Amino acid sequence: MRLFTATVVENETIMPATNVLSLRVPEAAQGAAPGQFLHIHCGESSAPLLRRPMSVYRTERDVIQLMIRDVGEGSTWLVRRQPGEELDCLGPLGHGFRLHPQARNLLMVGGGYGVAPLVGLAERALARGANIALAVGAATRAHVFPTDLLPAEIEYLVATDDGSAGHAGYVTDLVPDRLAWADAVYACGPLAMMSALARIIRQKAPRKPTQVAMEERMGCAMGVCLGCVIETTRGPLRVCTEGPVFDIRNIVWRDEPTTLRRSNGSSAA
Amino acid sequence: MVVAPPEIRAPVDVDLRVEIGSAAKIPLVLRNPVLVASGTFGYGTEYARLFDVQRLGAIVSKGITARPRRGNRGPRIVETPSGMLNAIGLQNIGVHKVIAKMAPLWAEWDVPVVVNIAGDTVDEFAYMAEHFEGVSGIAGIELNISCPNLWEGGRVIAEDAATTSAIVEAVRSRTGLPLLVKLSPQVADICGVARAAEAAGADAISLINTFVGMKIDTHTARPVLANTTGGLSGPAIRPLAVWLVYLVSQAVRIPIIGMGGIASVEDAVEFIMAGATAIQVGTATFVEPRTASRIVEGLSDALLSRGCTRVADLVGRAHPGEAVVPSPIATARNLG
Repeated sequence: MRLFTATVVENETIMPATNVLSLRVPEAAQGAAPGQFLHIHCGESSAPLLRRPMSVYRTERDVIQLMIRDVGEGSTWLVRRQPGEELDCLGPLGHGFRLHPQARNLLMVGGGYGVAPLVGLAERALARGANIALAVGAATRAHVFPTDLLPAEIEYLVATDDGSAGHAGYVTDLVPDRLAWADAVYACGPLAMMSALARIIRQKAPRKPTQVAMEERMGCAMGVCLGCVIETTRGPLRVCTEGPVFDIRNIVWRDEPTTLRRSNGSSAA
Repeated sequence: MVVAPPEIRAPVDVDLRVEIGSAAKIPLVLRNPVLVASGTFGYGTEYARLFDVQRLGAIVSKGITARPRRGNRGPRIVETPSGMLNAIGLQNIGVHKVIAKMAPLWAEWDVPVVVNIAGDTVDEFAYMAEHFEGVSGIAGIELNISCPNLWEGGRVIAEDAATTSAIVEAVRSRTGLPLLVKLSPQVADICGVARAAEAAGADAISLINTFVGMKIDTHTARPVLANTTGGLSGPAIRPLAVWLVYLVSQAVRIPIIGMGGIASVEDAVEFIMAGATAIQVGTATFVEPRTASRIVEGLSDALLSRGCTRVADLVGRAHPGEAVVPSPIATARNLG
């Protein structure tokens, strides 16, 4: 982990509002593991103020690739970077996914752009001779991670909210049928998806080794500000330092915020 | 090129040293006036992996309480325009673990470490001060009587002069360490609170703690922070902080340690001109970990370019009646 300047070598749109940014990084920043992240300064002023944690998508020698979804101030700035431009980065940070040497059949579950670290992980696991089923969930067919960016050996399972591709419903609906086959499970996605996965694992396969990459608002990413702390069975832990990857059984899942109730003119609060 | 007069031409040494603690047994001697603020530098060990933290004026520890605290539920932080809100809730390892685990490490360091302590009652502050007394590796105490995240509705413990007096007196009677008192900006009479702290034996006033604020998620109509409110920090609060440093530095004789959105040498100079003897870098460290270190590097030139050779030459120069500081551009020309 260090502060370094990365040079953008490629910026490619792979899905609507989703780009893969390829960064040439110095030697000390190489060897990032899937699940680790870079903390990147976005913009040239005090707005946006904080660096943005960006999950490592794939790595190749001196290149780190990030898959960036254009969702807010920081990411909008990032997806507009052109080859040759430089980025102020801190990283690689945190603990990534760990591949168990004995695990032969790996089930990977990605929601939305949570698929990013799983692709890099799948490629590493393939190189070790593992069998991989990758289940992804997306809003519509247009938002499904493109098949042609995946190695052919990966079995690809798709779920969409609107049924325009694959299973109509949640990606976690695809999990129970695969649990017996899988030696280990790896997941990354929205909190609701991972908490649903946690319920499935608890009910159907409580001993199945399952790792999840958690996401939380981050300040320093150095373990100092304690802004990204989540509740775990081992007490409050920092996503940036002890995570982002945790054993699913160690996470204490908090309720999702209630949605805005449409009331008949009275206070909605 | 303009030829400079010989008296300015002579090799000029800038003295960045600052001393705090006339009421303390051993004053806090800072080799430069750049500190890192509580809660933004952990226990000092984390950022040591990225740069030489020994070059800083001092490190102020994460807020410490009598017993370990788990802190608040998440989300604990959220970004706001040119700033951030935090409601960490003083998650910390507690006074005894700090003494056992951190102090021995700090005792080996060149950079002084000031412990920031927070409590709900006068007794808790007194208890911690007693325990830190005589512990090697502790160079001073900063009293956090202004954390907005402990009490409901963002209230702080010391909103008035009487409570401030009681806490500072209780701690002063139990410690010979230099005593900094960190005030909330959201009190009815901040000068009155500062004078109360001074009269009760404070060696310096740290200004300011965060402002209470909130952010609402407009999709869910809920506050973003689980704690509802949080403390606002970052460049967004800088003018508010500069004004309060300017105000309070004219109301007390003890030094002011200024903070609030400082991110550059020029920001530090602004606080010194407002009346701060030293400054603390906070949120800017999250953005650029080397901010404080870079301010240390650039401060000598910033003073010199304004015709100053000591920090004291520039302290409070924006106050009414103070002589105008020579323009850095004109001075640079004179220096050739």
